[in-house]
Amino acid sequence: MLFWIQHKWSGLWLLILALGGISLFLYGFFPLKYHSGKLAHMDDLPNFIDGVSIDGHEVYNSGENSVILMVIDGLRYDFVTEEYMPFTGQLLKNKSACIYVSVAEPPTVTMPRIKSPERKKEKAQWRRTINFWRDIFAMMTGSVSTFADVALNFGAPAVKGDSVLRVATSRGRHTILYGDDTWLRLFPGLWTDYDGTTSFFVTDYTEVDNNVTRHLDTVLAPLEDKKPKFDFLVLHYLGLDHIGHLEGAKSPKIKPKLIEMDEIVKKIYAAMQTWDRTGVLIICGDHGMRDAGGHGGASPAEVLVPLVVIKSADFQCPHEQGPGPVVAQVDIAPTIAWLLNTPIPGDSTGKFLPSLLPSDIRQHLYLLHVNAQHNVKQGVPTDTEYYRQFKRAETQFARYLTSGQQSAARIAKEFYDESLIAMSKQLTESTTDFDMFSLGLATVFLYFVVTALACVTLYSLQPDNQRKISITDKHRTNIGSIVAFAIIFAVFGTILTVACFITETKSQFCSFNPLWSIAFLSMVFALTVTYFLIKTGVEKIRDLSMLRELNAIDYLLIIGTLFHAWSFFGTSFIEEEHMTWYFFWNTLMFFVLVRTIVVLVMYFSKRWSGATEVQEKPDLDHRMSAVGVGIVPKWVLLIALHRYLRTMNQTGDRWLFLPDTADWLNAPENSIYLQGHLVFGTLLTLAICLWNIRHMNNYMKFHSIITILATLCILCYRITTNALHSPFEEIKSWDNVLIVEIFWWLLAGQTIFEAITYLGVFKACGYNPNSKFAYSKPKEKSEDYFYDIMEEPWNINDVKLNLARSLTHIMYNQMMLIIVLLMRPHNVIMVPSIYITCLITAKCLDHKLLDARPGRNTEAADILGLTLAHIWIGAVFYFYQGNSNSLASVDLGSGYVGLSEYSPVKVAARMGLHAYAGPALAGAHLFCSLPTSDMNKYLQAVWRVSNIMALQRVYQLVIYCVIAIVFRHHLFVWSVFSPKLLYDFVATVFSVQALLTIAEIVLITHIVSWIARAIIYRRLS
Amino acid sequence: MFSLNNHLELRRVTISSLVTCIYLPSIITAISYKGVLYSVGSGSSFYILVLIFVAELVKSFYLSSSNEIQAKRSKGKTRAGDIIKSLGFLLGITFCFFLGIMLFGAPVLDKHEETLMLSSLLTLLTVFPLVAHCGVEPAVQLLFGVKSFNKDTIVAMLVNNALLTLCGAWLGAVVIPLDWNTPWQQWPIPCYLGALGGYVLSNVLTVLKVTMMSGANKYKFLNFFINVINRLHISK
Repeated sequence: MLFWIQHKWSGLWLLILALGGISLFLYGFFPLKYHSGKLAHMDDLPNFIDGVSIDGHEVYNSGENSVILMVIDGLRYDFVTEEYMPFTGQLLKNKSACIYVSVAEPPTVTMPRIKSPERKKEKAQWRRTINFWRDIFAMMTGSVSTFADVALNFGAPAVKGDSVLRVATSRGRHTILYGDDTWLRLFPGLWTDYDGTTSFFVTDYTEVDNNVTRHLDTVLAPLEDKKPKFDFLVLHYLGLDHIGHLEGAKSPKIKPKLIEMDEIVKKIYAAMQTWDRTGVLIICGDHGMRDAGGHGGASPAEVLVPLVVIKSADFQCPHEQGPGPVVAQVDIAPTIAWLLNTPIPGDSTGKFLPSLLPSDIRQHLYLLHVNAQHNVKQGVPTDTEYYRQFKRAETQFARYLTSGQQSAARIAKEFYDESLIAMSKQLTESTTDFDMFSLGLATVFLYFVVTALACVTLYSLQPDNQRKISITDKHRTNIGSIVAFAIIFAVFGTILTVACFITETKSQFCSFNPLWSIAFLSMVFALTVTYFLIKTGVEKIRDLSMLRELNAIDYLLIIGTLFHAWSFFGTSFIEEEHMTWYFFWNTLMFFVLVRTIVVLVMYFSKRWSGATEVQEKPDLDHRMSAVGVGIVPKWVLLIALHRYLRTMNQTGDRWLFLPDTADWLNAPENSIYLQGHLVFGTLLTLAICLWNIRHMNNYMKFHSIITILATLCILCYRITTNALHSPFEEIKSWDNVLIVEIFWWLLAGQTIFEAITYLGVFKACGYNPNSKFAYSKPKEKSEDYFYDIMEEPWNINDVKLNLARSLTHIMYNQMMLIIVLLMRPHNVIMVPSIYITCLITAKCLDHKLLDARPGRNTEAADILGLTLAHIWIGAVFYFYQGNSNSLASVDLGSGYVGLSEYSPVKVAARMGLHAYAGPALAGAHLFCSLPTSDMNKYLQAVWRVSNIMALQRVYQLVIYCVIAIVFRHHLFVWSVFSPKLLYDFVATVFSVQALLTIAEIVLITHIVSWIARAIIYRRLS
Repeated sequence: MFSLNNHLELRRVTISSLVTCIYLPSIITAISYKGVLYSVGSGSSFYILVLIFVAELVKSFYLSSSNEIQAKRSKGKTRAGDIIKSLGFLLGITFCFFLGIMLFGAPVLDKHEETLMLSSLLTLLTVFPLVAHCGVEPAVQLLFGVKSFNKDTIVAMLVNNALLTLCGAWLGAVVIPLDWNTPWQQWPIPCYLGALGGYVLSNVLTVLKVTMMSGANKYKFLNFFINVINRLHISK
C-alpha cells in the first residue's frame, strides 16, 4: 500500500476517481433517463380493449378542428374576470367557456434588466430562452423538463424529442406561430408559417403585441370554402409581462392591456363562427406576477395561472361556476394533439382537459384508455394499486363494449380517472425527484477521496529524508497486504449492500443488474483504495516541519482557498463569485506590495546604514537578485494592469449589463483601439513565445520560424473575420477554415520536430545541432572510472530534463497561440497579461527574499505558495475574461473558430479551452517555471504540484456537493446551483485533462530517452 | 509589548483610548440620529473630518506633553516649518491613499469626491496621529520599518490603531457586492464606517488590555485574554 502513496501520479488517479464520484452525483441530481425521445405514431393506438376489438383510428378521430393557443405572458389568475376582460368574463358566466386553474412551473430565470448594447444580446437571448423554456416545453411536449434538457441542449435549444408540433407536422397539419421567437428556436422547421418577434426592451409593451396582432385579420379570415387557413395557431403576447416588470401588477397600464387582449379574444371568437369547422381557443398564461411586478418565486400569485377553453359551437362547460378544477400545464399537449387528430406526443404525461372530452361515451372511454395506456408504456410500475385500477377499468370498458351496459361505463370512467391522476403524479415526480442514495454515496465517496488526497499531498510535502526511511517497508510480504485488501474490500462491499437494503432506495445504483454491478464494484474498489491511502498516509506522515516555513502570504493563500469553497452557501456568492476572487486577489496584491516595500527598505537600510561589511554585501545582492530593486514600481504597474483588466468585462448577475470597457472597445467608432488591443496582445504573445524558445532545441531557428508563421496565421484569420483591417485587401477573401487548418499543422509539426531532434536523428544524419541539448559522454575521470562503469555512459538524465522542459514550454507556447486565436478581440490582451502576472508573482512569493529567515529548506513551502497563487491567478483571469457561473456566459462563438461544420468534440474542446483559458495558462506557466536543477528534483516538484492542484479541485467539489444537497429544493436550484455544479464538473474534467497532459509529457520524455538509448546511441557508440 | 513599568505612559495611553472610545461612537450616533449617516461619503460631511482632526490633535498634545524637555528643545526653532512640512506630508499621504484605493478597485472615472473623503479619513486615522506625536521624519522611519518601536508604548498603540483601521476599511468592502439592496451598500460608506469601526475596536482592545493587565496580578486567568489580545495585534 505504501507504493500507492509514493506513486508520482496518485494525485491524478484520485482526481479521476473524484471525476467518477461527481458523475454519480450528477446522475443523482439530474435525472436523465426520462425523455426517451420516442416518437408517437397513429398506429400506436390500441385496437383491442382486453381482447375486444375496436377500430382505434375511427374512435380516436376528433373530427375537424382548428386550434388556437393564445399564450399571454404574465396572465395572473385574478386577471380573467369581467372587470378586466369583459368579453371573456361574459363567456365564462354563460358557460360557453371553461376556466381552469393551471399550476405553472416556477420559471428559472427572471427577465434581466437590459440596457443592452449589441454585444450582450447573445447572453440576453440565452436567458430569455431558458425563461420560456420550461413553460413552452411543458405545453408542447406534455412532459416536465429537467435541467438536463436545458443543459444538454447547449447551443441548440431545439427540442429533440416528440412534441405536438412534431406530430402535427408529420400528419400534414398547417401550423402557424406569431409571437416570441423562442418558439421558433425550440421547434425549428416545424412551422408552416411564422413571424417571430424578439423583445429585448422591457420598456416596449406596445410594439411587441402589435407585431403579433397585425397578422390576425388575414390569418383568421377563412378561405373561399369557409375553411380556416390553419390547423394550429400559436399567439404569444409579451406586453402584459413587460408592464408587470416595469410597474407591477397594480399598474394602471394593466387594465387597458387586458382589455386589448379581450378584444383579441372577441375577434377570434367572432372569426371562429364563420368557419365551417369547430374552432377551439385555449388561452393561458405561462406564469403569473407578483403585485410588486416581476416573477420567479413560488407564491400563488406567480404560480397560479388561468387556462380558459373556448369552443366555437355546441359547447357547455361541465364544471360549476367558480375557480374551476386544477389542471397541469402538461395537459395542454395531449389535448391539442387529440384535437388535431394526431397521436399523443411520445413523452407526454398529461391528461385530456375534461371539458373537451366528447360526450359520446365510447369515444370518451377510449380516449381515457389511450391516455392511461400511454402512461403505462412510459414505465409505470405494474405492482401498484393504480395499475391494477387501470386493469380493472379496462375490463369494465371491454364489458361495456360487448354488452353496452351504462353501469359498466360509469365504473370504467371512474376507475380510469382515478388511475390517471395517480399515474400522472407518479410520472411527474419521478422526473423531478433526486436520487438521494446516489447523492449521499457520491458525497461520502468524495470525502474519502479528498481525505486521501490531503494525505498524499502532505506526504509529498515532507522533506526527502523522511520519505527514504520507509523504503525498507517495501520488502514486506505482499501476501499480507493482498489479504488485508481483500478483507477491507469485503467490508466495504457488505456495508454498501446493507446500506442499499436498509434505506430501501429505488436508486438504480442498488438495482444489481450487470451494468450497475460494475459501477457498484468499482465504487467498493475505489473506497478500499482510498481507505488504504488514508491509512498509510496517517501512519507515514511524520515530519511536517515545512509548515513552519509558511509566511503570512502563504497563510492568506491557504485560508482564502479554504474559505472560498464555503462561500457558496450564499446564492449571491455563486452568482457573483468573481467578487470573491477579486477581493482575495486584491488582498494578496496588497500583502505582496507591503512585502516588496519592506524588502526594498530592508535592502537599502542594510546597504547604507547598518551592515556594510565586505562579506554581507554580496549576500544581500544575491538575495535581492531574484526580484531586483525595480520590483516595487513593477508591482504597482501590475496592480494597475489588473485594475484595468477588471473593468474589461462585467460579469456575474447584478452588474452584468453595466457598460464596460469591452463595450466601449466594440463600439464601431472605437474600432481602432480594439484593433490596437488585438495587435498589441498578439504581438506581445509572439514576443513571449520567442523568449520561451530559449528553453527549446531551437535547431536551425526552426521553432522561431514556426512561431512567427503561426502568429501570421492568427493575424490572417483576424483579417478574414473582419476583426482587423489590413492594407492587403486580397487576404480578406482567403478561407479562414484553411488558415486555421494550416495553423494546426504548424503546431503539430513543431512538437514532432522537437521530439525527433531529441532522438538525435539529426546527429545520426551527420548534422550537429546545438550542443547544449545533445547527448554526449561526460568527461571521464580516471579515478572515478570504477564507479562510472555502472552508470550511464551518456548524459541521458540531463537530456531528459531538457526535453521535459522544452516540451512543457512548447505546450505553453502553443496553448498561448491557440487561445489568442480563440479569444474575442478585446480579450486577446489577457494572454500576455497572465504571463506577466505569473512571472512577477512567482518572483515575489519566493521564500528566500530578505525578510525571511535565512538558510532554511523552503522548497516545499515555495511550491505550495506558488501552486495556490497560480490557481488564484487562473480563477481571477477566468472572470476577467467575462465568464461567470451562469450558462449564459459560455461563449458559443469560440467553439466554431476555423470549423465549417458542427462537430461535437471539436466544438466542445474549443469552447472548453476558451472558457478555461485563464486556469489553463496559469497552470501551464506553473509547470514551466518548476525548478529544473536535475531530473529527480523536477519530478518531485511535478508530483507536489499535481497533488496540490488535485486536492484544491476535489476539495471545492466536495464542499459544493454538500451545498447542492442542502439547497436541492431551493428556488434557484436551476438558475444558480445547477449551472455551478455543471461548471464544477467541467472544471474537474479539464483538471484531469491538464494533469494528463503533464503526465504525457513526462511519459514522452521517458519514451524518447528509451528509444534514443535503445537504437541510436547503441549504434553510434 | 505594553509594559507596566512606565505608569505615566500607560495612563496616557489608556485615557486617550478611552476618549476615542467615547468621542467617535458619539459622533457616529449623532449623525445617524440626524439621519445623515449614509451621506458620509459626500463632501457635505467634511465637518466629521474636522471634528476627528481636532480630537486627534488634542489627544496628541495630551500624549506628548510628557516629553516636556524634548518639546522645549524643539520649540521656537522650527515650529512653523514643522507644521507646514507635516501638512505637506499629510497631503501627499492622502494622495497616495487616493491612488491606492483607486488601484484596488474604487471607481476611476467618477465618485472622486467620495474616494477623496475616504482617503482623508484614512490619513487622519492612521498617519496623522503618528506625525502629530513624533514628527515627520520619525513617522516616515516608522512607516517603512526602519525604526523599531518596541520600547515605546504610545507609538505601538498608534501603529496598532493604524493597522486595524486599514483592516476595517478593507473588510468593509466585502459587503458592497452583496445583493441586499440596502442604501448603505454604496461606495464608500461600508469602507468609511469600517475604518471608523476598526479604529474604535483597536482602542477598545487597548483599554481592555490595560484593564486586564492591571487586574492580572490578582486574577491569573486574565493572562489568557491578554495573550489573545496580543495575538490580535498584527504589528510585529
